[in-house]
Amino acid sequence: MEPTTPENAPAVPPVSPVLRPGHTYASVTDKISAIVLVEGTRKGWWLGFVIAFALLMVMHYAIAMVLSMGVGLFGINIPVAWGFAITNFVWWIGIGHAGTLISAFLLLMRQKWRTSINRFAEAMTIFAVACAGLFPLMHMGRPWLFYWLLPYPDTMGVWPQFRSPLVWDVFAVSTYATVSILFWFVGLIPDLATLRDRAKKRISQIVYGVLAMGWRGSALHWRRYEMASLLLAGLATPLVISVHTVVSFDFTIAIVPGWHSTIFPPYFVAGAIYSGFAMVLTLAIPLRAFFKLEDFVTMRHLDNMAKMLLATGLIVAYGYMMETFMAFYSGNTFDRYMIMNRMFGPYAPWYWLLITCNIAVPMTLLWWKSIRRNVAALFVISLVVQLGMWLERFIIVVTSLHRDFLPSSWGMFYPTATDFELLFGTVGLFFTLFYLFIRYLPMISIFEMRELVHKTSE
Amino acid sequence: MNDSLPPQFERYQRGSLIVGLVVLALCVAGGFHNSTQFFRSYLVAFIFWTGVGLGCMAILMLHHMVGGTWGFALRRLLESGSKTLPLMGVLVIPLLLSLPKLYSWATPAGAAEAASPFKHVYLSRPFFLGRTVLYFVVWIALAYILNKWSADQDRTGEPGILRRLQNLSGPGLLAYGLTVTYASVDWAMSLQPEFFSTIYGMIFMVTQALSAMALVTVMVMLLSDRKPLSGVVTPLLFNDFGNLLLTFTMLWAYLSFSQYLIIWEGNLQDEIPWYVVRAEGGWAWVALALIIFHFAIPFVLLLMRFIKRRKRILAAVAAGLVVMSVVDIYWLTVPAFERRGPEFHLLDWGTIIGMGGLWMWLFLSQLKAKPLLPLHDPRLEEALPHG
Repeated sequence: MEPTTPENAPAVPPVSPVLRPGHTYASVTDKISAIVLVEGTRKGWWLGFVIAFALLMVMHYAIAMVLSMGVGLFGINIPVAWGFAITNFVWWIGIGHAGTLISAFLLLMRQKWRTSINRFAEAMTIFAVACAGLFPLMHMGRPWLFYWLLPYPDTMGVWPQFRSPLVWDVFAVSTYATVSILFWFVGLIPDLATLRDRAKKRISQIVYGVLAMGWRGSALHWRRYEMASLLLAGLATPLVISVHTVVSFDFTIAIVPGWHSTIFPPYFVAGAIYSGFAMVLTLAIPLRAFFKLEDFVTMRHLDNMAKMLLATGLIVAYGYMMETFMAFYSGNTFDRYMIMNRMFGPYAPWYWLLITCNIAVPMTLLWWKSIRRNVAALFVISLVVQLGMWLERFIIVVTSLHRDFLPSSWGMFYPTATDFELLFGTVGLFFTLFYLFIRYLPMISIFEMRELVHKTSE
Repeated sequence: MNDSLPPQFERYQRGSLIVGLVVLALCVAGGFHNSTQFFRSYLVAFIFWTGVGLGCMAILMLHHMVGGTWGFALRRLLESGSKTLPLMGVLVIPLLLSLPKLYSWATPAGAAEAASPFKHVYLSRPFFLGRTVLYFVVWIALAYILNKWSADQDRTGEPGILRRLQNLSGPGLLAYGLTVTYASVDWAMSLQPEFFSTIYGMIFMVTQALSAMALVTVMVMLLSDRKPLSGVVTPLLFNDFGNLLLTFTMLWAYLSFSQYLIIWEGNLQDEIPWYVVRAEGGWAWVALALIIFHFAIPFVLLLMRFIKRRKRILAAVAAGLVVMSVVDIYWLTVPAFERRGPEFHLLDWGTIIGMGGLWMWLFLSQLKAKPLLPLHDPRLEEALPHG
């Protein structure tokens, strides 16, 4: 007799499924591929796409203006030389963390629930990194000389300053972008082959056929595929951590009060995942309603993502707490003044709005299961968190700089129209790319859902 | 039903008690000669062994929240580890009675030097004592409830208890994070009251989780040849333990390196002396040993699957990590007193072994009191290959 077996095994408490039962291999494939191949372009899609595209044009206008007139169009000046551009950069790059985290880290952790959300979360990552990359380029003033940041043997004998984290950023972000794109594309190949085989139009057959790179679904292909995705996952997971760690070094390596704080690396990473999961929720909730994907993106997914929000949000709150505590504990005049200035200085309303959005609202509500399973509430919370995380970076960038060591050099930062045009313009870029993605590529991994069918029918 | 410990564990338990009492008695005798050194050594041992118990409790709560097969095999070990916290609550008393021997801020001259009014209040004796009492109240209460509900679950098999344990573990981990952060500031950081670092509490949490995980990995290997654990801990499960150790090792290195890089590159007068002491003279060798034996070697070894799946080799790596965790605590605290280099006083060895003996004795007697596997966890049925 096995001593561990309880005599009356109690019923296992019901767990909501990651795929609603009753699906077959065919129904999964039909449902997801039909969105791309059969259903055609819907009115709602056009409406969203046109708005996003209009915003993208605003971005183009802003970029053209900055290129021709210079960075004087931004609200930046000494002492606040980093304004919206760096705020937006950190915000976007943070959003770009959840995709790879969901795909790579949760793959390594053998978490099955990731399957239906990883594809569009990865797409979101790549588009967010594309938006992020624009800001340092524009902020450089002479973006056509960006290659000076790369260590190449030029005739001037000038090398980048390797002790500057801004140079590390170049490597961290470009590596991250490369691996994320590879990971996304490799994951798409089996599904592209499915689309190729199902497409009726000649042009679709050719395009998907080329992209599928000759995938035949043989056992050998699958073996290599599994190996490649495991290796890429292993590579991508440390990158998720390293990118935002390096971004946090952009601040901490400087000795500016409010930037130079040792908690920054883990707290930035947690904040990035926090905003990233918020963005996944922002996208997933309308998508599942619009395309009737409730069978695939179930309440279990939303609940789990809400728990991730809670966990990472608490780490962010811990970061705020330690910064404030140490400012007083250290007895450092400048640190203490920085905290007081954040709380009660000219930017205080924004600071308190940040605390409300990041801590007060989500960190009280998300403890309750009824909230985590309320789709409308989650959608609102996800938007609130993104606003909060944007404000966090704004507060870190601006309040730390505008009043530093010398009161005679204090100043204020006021954003200009160009600042807002570029910010909302990149939102346009992001959603334009995203609308194209959901129109032309399967937004849920078809073959991984088929694996889940196999598991749930056992 | 009654899966008692293997007979040699009776011997281990008795041996631990004897070693603990004899060695601690010798240390106390040594303390009459050199009371300052005694309390310094005692502090290191106290911080380390309290950390192991706390680490056990944190991993236990983490498992209640996220589940996973790995935790069922470890659960009783972790619960027993958390039950050592009342002992540490007693062992802290001698420290609290002799604060001026350890903390410069507790001396009249040091108090006058306090850099800020906030620190003057925060690092005052009554406030410090009150906080330490509060930490132990929170920890002992959490450990008590976690063990009690788990025992209830064994006895009654009521499925609702799992949910209660889960609901406690979220806020419990929050309380753990807050108390350990401030305890680390109080007990260790304030040894050099001019130093501050916002990541410090996190480093302590990871150190605790790492030392606890390493210790229970060794223990589970010792128990794995006999029923009931022999049917549960497969090589695959040891692979999971190895991955957890790898995660904590990497986290430790990540947090420690981040702190170092930021302080080194900032090079500010409030912060850098802390590292100057720890990276020069004899301490440089200790720092180097930490980099090699607390990170580089275990990192490489734990990446390899064939090591993680051979329990004896994995346990050897874990035992090494336990030893290096002691060195880590030693390197974090002792340079505050011995600025030129480590002296490795006889009392340093004695207190860590003596207190460890008592800890192990209590740990084993707790472990004996309950079946080695939880009996009625609804998730266990799903998790085990042949439940």
